[in-house]
Amino acid sequence: MRVMSTPRLLDVEITSKCNLRCKYCYHFNSAGETKEDIETEEWLRFFEELKQCVVMEVCLGGGEPFLRDDLKEILSSLARNQIRFSIMSNGTLITDEIAAFIAASKRCNYVQVSIDGSIPITHDEMRGKGNFSRAINGLKTLLRHGITATVRVTIHKGNVYDLEGIAELLLEEIGLNSFSTNSASYMGLCRRNAEQIMLTPKERSLAMVSLVKLEKKYNGRISAQAGPLADGKIWLEMERARKEGLLRLPGRGYLSACGAVFGKLAVRADGVMIPCIQLSNIELGKINKDSLVKVWQEHPELLKIRGRRSVHLSSFEFCEGCDYIPYCTGNCPALASNILGKVNHPSPDACLRRFLQEGGVLPENI
Amino acid sequence: MKDDVVPIAKPSILLREEFDDWAVLFSTDSGEAYGINPVSVFIWKRLDGERTIDGLVEELIANCDDAPDDAGGQVLTFVNELLAKGFAGYEVDGR
Ligand code: SF4
Ligand code: SF4
Repeated sequence: MRVMSTPRLLDVEITSKCNLRCKYCYHFNSAGETKEDIETEEWLRFFEELKQCVVMEVCLGGGEPFLRDDLKEILSSLARNQIRFSIMSNGTLITDEIAAFIAASKRCNYVQVSIDGSIPITHDEMRGKGNFSRAINGLKTLLRHGITATVRVTIHKGNVYDLEGIAELLLEEIGLNSFSTNSASYMGLCRRNAEQIMLTPKERSLAMVSLVKLEKKYNGRISAQAGPLADGKIWLEMERARKEGLLRLPGRGYLSACGAVFGKLAVRADGVMIPCIQLSNIELGKINKDSLVKVWQEHPELLKIRGRRSVHLSSFEFCEGCDYIPYCTGNCPALASNILGKVNHPSPDACLRRFLQEGGVLPENI
Repeated sequence: MKDDVVPIAKPSILLREEFDDWAVLFSTDSGEAYGINPVSVFIWKRLDGERTIDGLVEELIANCDDAPDDAGGQVLTFVNELLAKGFAGYEVDGR
């Protein structure tokens, strides 16, 4: 995989603060939860460096970006520096005024709103009372202003039986082109509430079946980079390859799951550069103090994570004797790091062998 | 396209040069990106509104050891693509 000369995209946690406390938030109870947000001027200075590096997109997250009262100034600075932006939001603070501002900037790729239910109870159970209707209002406000709005559905114990309803609400009633899904993972606040949140292998199997069916029904308008739908697809491919006795699948057999560090970098709300929002404990340097290009091209931690693609799965005791080795990617490094404290290790969370051993069933076998 | 046409790059289009000589043109207006080869990078950097197509071809041949045999055709095709995408404009040379 080719590393880019500078990051093409930056995930920027523009604030560590949030008006909600979702029970599975990966931000709080992680190194990303910083005490102070850096000042506006610091961000504006940094965006000038991003312009020099021809960074194409900044994705603003947090925390909740719409909490920042200098958001307009931040967005204007990005536009001035010829950088397109996207925003990840819980949707509850989006007003007509800010939506009009975003639309007028003509630099917005999309705003993503988190919606986890088709009815208040399934959304609010994890995100707090009243937030379903606030998020839906936020989403509708964006659409009214002609902004490209996307939705991320985080699947957990409380909404696993509501997936059909969610698809109907988002794709039919509201009329979105598509939405994406993932699942609550063992990170941040979820580590404290795991029992209450995380899917059992049986629930995970159920979610996979529902999502595979819904994806077919809605002609691919449901996507996933992680969570049951993504796992289901990759696991079916692995199982087919094993049954057919294929020598190996292209690029598999190594820790090859994540390509993000080849084109993306992230920054915490305190201005510390990190490899990924979900690897917020790996500090690479401070913005406006350390050169972005130097960090990107030379930092030993980044080089180590990029190098994981040459680590063969057979070198791990965890994978010993596994028939899936030639077809497996070893899964998300951030999850491996959160669960085991090791980035360069297969993640037990998306391990097919373990899933099957614990009673999980793949979609076509149900 | 007439010979005295002078193409000019749009300021809202950015060039990202990557390792191994590959590059991307990127529209900050639309988000559209477009991968280009080293010959196209050479041309892009000279779309300053001062050079005609013929001038660009001459410069390419003079500066690149491995300039393509059909340099004129390639320059024209590339500039036409840029015009069609709205990545460049042109003005009739009035000098
Ligand atoms: S998941 Fe998002 S909305 Fe919920 S507490 Fe975390 S940052 Fe806030
Ligand atoms: S043990 Fe799990 S992570 Fe390792 S190769 Fe097998 S399926 Fe993949």
